[in-house]
Amino acid sequence: MSDRVSDFLHEAVSVPHLGAEPKDWLALLKPRVVSLVVFTGAIGLAIAPGHLNPLLAAIAVFCIALGAGAAGAINMWYDRDIDAIMRRTTSRPIPAGKIEAGGALGFGIVLAVISVLLLAMATNLCAAGVLAFSIFYYAVIYTMWLKRRTPQNIVIGGAAGAFPPVIGWASVTGHVGLLPAMLFLIVFFWTPPHFWSLSLYASTDYEKAGVPMLPVVKGARHTRWNVFIYALLLFPLALSPWFLGLVGPIYGATACVLGVVFLYFAWGVLRDKQDAKGVSLTKDQPARVAFKFSILYLFLLFTAIAVDRLV
Amino acid sequence: MVAAQDREDYEKDRMPRVEIAESHWSDEQKAEFLRRRRARNFLLLAALGGFCLIIYVIAMVKLHEYGRMW
Repeated sequence: MSDRVSDFLHEAVSVPHLGAEPKDWLALLKPRVVSLVVFTGAIGLAIAPGHLNPLLAAIAVFCIALGAGAAGAINMWYDRDIDAIMRRTTSRPIPAGKIEAGGALGFGIVLAVISVLLLAMATNLCAAGVLAFSIFYYAVIYTMWLKRRTPQNIVIGGAAGAFPPVIGWASVTGHVGLLPAMLFLIVFFWTPPHFWSLSLYASTDYEKAGVPMLPVVKGARHTRWNVFIYALLLFPLALSPWFLGLVGPIYGATACVLGVVFLYFAWGVLRDKQDAKGVSLTKDQPARVAFKFSILYLFLLFTAIAVDRLV
Repeated sequence: MVAAQDREDYEKDRMPRVEIAESHWSDEQKAEFLRRRRARNFLLLAALGGFCLIIYVIAMVKLHEYGRMW
């Protein structure tokens, strides 16, 4: 452990350790991330053909949330050293000295096992298997393997966040179809412009922690181009379920409008006033707007697909 | 001495010791520690109860709807 981290942690525990509160354990589950996962998972479940008892459907969504939270807890356990360095994450329960690292890991593993077992009991082995794989993907492939090794970390790691609609769909049907696969790809291609917009104005944090995010390794200008290119790729991809006749015009029109707006904001990120190195002279205002809109984009796109299928 | 022990604990990935009898906490801090521990215990109890309830609900629904669990 580096001296800086050690000093920080020592300062953190110099205050009396009164034990964790329930909200600290809840914070380990990354509730904000879980809320988006629950939403996309619930949409996957709602649009799937077939019938699932509403109580079992509610339990399935709960299991998706629990599994995502468990993966988040394991992520916080593994990343506790860099979380202590980055300003955005110093208040997380482990670096803040509220929860012991081993306790967080145990909490994550227990919740992961419970979520997979409960989902297998409530629905089927296919859904439980995809949930188990998604937890493994996020905790091991993304967090432990890719995150600190490659600037493409969030491109490949983004798949972890793309599984929930597939799990929701599989909970009802017992298999994975074309539409959930398309939703998977949409979330997969949405993740890079979403995260790289954030990393453009949080890159100092990542640099301090030694995480090779794209702006740190390749520079801001390269990242801006990547945000735009991925937004460009996302546009036809988001429309493809409509082209393939899997959804109707409500979704098609919404995806078209949202895609144009997202491209407009991504273009803003690309054309932001910048110095010779591509560093923003506007405090990355366009990137901040693009990041916020990307969340709204996914929310509205999934709402549209649900409305289209259910109406 | 206590700070040194804390540092050693942290470097070995352990939390500092929290034995109330040995600490020099104020009465308020001890009361707060007990309150948090009680809250955690109640949460654990609720979680275990919820877990049992969910398994019961799954069993009832599946047996009623499909006549089998698996």
